[in-house]
Amino acid sequence: MALGRFLLKRVLQGVLVVWGVITVVFGLRFVTPGSPINAIAPLDASQETRRAIARELGLDQPLYVQYVQYVGDLLRGDMGFSYIKGQEAATLVFSKLPATLELAVAATVVAIVISIPLGVLSATRRNEPVDYGATLFSLGGISTPNFWLGIMLVLVFSVELDIFRTSGRGVNVGDVVTAIWTGDPFLDTLVAWLTFITLPAITLGTYFTALITRLTRSGMLDQLGQSYVRAARAKGLPETLVRYKHALRNTLIPVVTVLGLQLGTLIGGAVITEAVFAWPGLGTLVIDSINLRDWPALQGSLIVIGAGFVVVNILVDAVYAYVNPQVVYD
Amino acid sequence: MSREDVDRRTFLKATGSAGAVVALAGCAGNGDQTPEPTPEPGDDSTPEPTPTETDTESGDGEEVETFDMTVTAGQMDSGLDPQDHAETPTDNIVSQAYDGLLDRDKQGGIVEGIASEWERVEPGTVRFTLREGVTFHNGDPLTAEDVAYSIRRIVFDDVGIASAQKNDLGAVSEVVPGDGEVTVNFDGLNPIVFQLFATNGQVMQQSWVEENGTDFINRNTNGTGPFTAASYDSGNEVVFERFEDHWRGAAPVGTLTWNAASESSTRVNRILQGESDITVNVPPQEISRVQNSDSARIAPVPSTRIIFLQMRYDVEPFTSQEFRQAMNYAVDLNSIIENVLDGFGAPTGQPTLEPFVGHNPDIEPYPYDPEQAEQLVEDSGFAGAEITLQTPIGRYLKDVEIAQACADQIDQLSNVSCELQQREFSSLVQDLTTGNIEDKPAFNLLGWGNGEFDAAQTIIPLLATDGALTILENDQVDQYMADAQSTADPDERSAILQEANAFIHDLAPWVFLHQQFSVYGVSNRIDWQPRNDEIIDPYTATLR
Repeated sequence: MALGRFLLKRVLQGVLVVWGVITVVFGLRFVTPGSPINAIAPLDASQETRRAIARELGLDQPLYVQYVQYVGDLLRGDMGFSYIKGQEAATLVFSKLPATLELAVAATVVAIVISIPLGVLSATRRNEPVDYGATLFSLGGISTPNFWLGIMLVLVFSVELDIFRTSGRGVNVGDVVTAIWTGDPFLDTLVAWLTFITLPAITLGTYFTALITRLTRSGMLDQLGQSYVRAARAKGLPETLVRYKHALRNTLIPVVTVLGLQLGTLIGGAVITEAVFAWPGLGTLVIDSINLRDWPALQGSLIVIGAGFVVVNILVDAVYAYVNPQVVYD
Repeated sequence: MSREDVDRRTFLKATGSAGAVVALAGCAGNGDQTPEPTPEPGDDSTPEPTPTETDTESGDGEEVETFDMTVTAGQMDSGLDPQDHAETPTDNIVSQAYDGLLDRDKQGGIVEGIASEWERVEPGTVRFTLREGVTFHNGDPLTAEDVAYSIRRIVFDDVGIASAQKNDLGAVSEVVPGDGEVTVNFDGLNPIVFQLFATNGQVMQQSWVEENGTDFINRNTNGTGPFTAASYDSGNEVVFERFEDHWRGAAPVGTLTWNAASESSTRVNRILQGESDITVNVPPQEISRVQNSDSARIAPVPSTRIIFLQMRYDVEPFTSQEFRQAMNYAVDLNSIIENVLDGFGAPTGQPTLEPFVGHNPDIEPYPYDPEQAEQLVEDSGFAGAEITLQTPIGRYLKDVEIAQACADQIDQLSNVSCELQQREFSSLVQDLTTGNIEDKPAFNLLGWGNGEFDAAQTIIPLLATDGALTILENDQVDQYMADAQSTADPDERSAILQEANAFIHDLAPWVFLHQQFSVYGVSNRIDWQPRNDEIIDPYTATLR
């Protein structure tokens, strides 16, 4: 019950946050230089043509009228019309969301698969070569810029070794899933998907991997020094059980928090990776929309990213209670 | 292809010959001469367009192997409505599906589109005779009413949209459909009407436009072009299938995939890996990587874009003609082209590029002469001037590096100091397009693409008093343009424009920089030649 009240409170707070995001991104268009008219009209368009386009876009309306209209439309599920693309902004945004989610989840999976075992190994073999190697890897992962890493991975694994595709999203995870019952060769589809997703997922997930590795290592070291671990060992529990059932589970509490927050960040923060790999996600849409001053598409994208972040935060809070029974909500 | 194959001198030669062709074509554009048929894929001759009946024949009836092809651009479209945009990336995509009344060949000459004949019937009236047997992708025949509607939709605000192309066809007063022909009336002469129609005015089907909403029209195609969109993923990819009943015959390319990568290294990687067949804008630093590969080559071509530094005539020290000329002498243009652009640029000394109508072949670029520049600054009375050059960031090839070089060379003059200010393009454009000369920067780098291949299309908007982007008020320039725009005879008009270019060279409202090159990466598995006007035509590609 306490959890239910807490989550309700968080949802209401989340609504306020999203409203704030809506207001800020709406206001940004009026303090940002450049006009969508310049993206639509040629440079030498007459002032008459510019005024006609402004009228068509509704840009000749007062600010408060545009704002009230926009919020009202949003409440009806209408993100507006992308005058640059000639399409509904919601259609644009939600057509890009799956690609971004796919990449974010894949990067998170890469991070989890590598970082937690590596962090545990590093902690349990402290001051041994594997620990030094893991520390070096973490340092490198945190220090390496995404764009450089992505380009290097493509040069080595795509251009030189011809293992992965250089860019794009020719096959998506949906194709893999549908191959199961459509009769398409599942393994071929899976391999094809992996040739597209692997390098961007590694690029996006490397920083995250390094971060979680360090977090897991320090958390494990901290837990292994606790008295309950000494007690477990004293009563003769096998070391594997002590490490992986007791110490690791407690270590994962802060890791889950970071994982959740990071997933939210990945949804909106994959801009550079998407650019390097020409990945057709929200990040690419955001950049295009900024360049073209396509405000409805940009606002829609930022609202979805903001809302996604809020939802992930609420979910993290809920999971936190499951992982750590000591958490008290009031 | 060796490096020597693509150096600047080679391309200057190519440009020279292209210029002659285009000048002739431009003259033919007034309808007084017989129009040239459209070249067929992989064929430099000019056979009559003949519809094909098989999948493997080109328009000239020769057996051509069908193949699939991928083009990687730097940017995707802003919707598939061919009349509701004003940028080259979108034009490149929609022109695969939509034809205009007229078209251009690779050198920019005017050729047939869906009009087989065109003529000027009166000074302000032209007539297009429509080709017979042209159909839209949905199978409906093209009618004169469709053509008239398309022109009206572009130029009149009350026909569907406020098109950004409104001014691109001239001051149209009325469009009259007839029996297999369309007559267009203008307010005044419109001496370059056929040049305008060769670049603009793609034709849509009236009933299809009226039956479908904007959202649908921007995600689907129904033109008369060689390809029809089979799938559309906005901002990511358009997959075209060839239109079997195209009036030029079915294209050799069966499936055409058009995608984009904003990162130049990504585009280059795609072409090196065989994931793409044509890629745009290979930057100088990536050229050797393509040239050294076995899978692709570089295909550069002089574009229709001129890069320059414009100086506002009403702001000191640019009020002085001597000072403006001094800025031209201070810039080592050849060094910039060689060192910044790796040779992929051609120096200019007038606002009109070599292939264009009105280009003056007697004008040489200003030489690099810093001593002369310092003397002219002294003569101008503005010795000790402190000026700031504004440049957009990333809008034109190596724009910031070019501006840095120019500012540095001007700053090296003993009696002028010059600083550089980098600006985001949208912000700079906001100042340039307000319509007030007072809002414009005093000194800035700009590029100008002129798809009509006519001097007036550069000089009027940029240098005439009532030009939308002008930084100059000069009675003589205005008079030249008024004379040119009221002269129907192409030779006489070209002579006026050449005089104007000579005058503007001396007047020096710009620091004349270079003609930008379009540098493509092309897969070794295909034969394909780029066009001057930045339009990519996969229809003309063939397998090697």
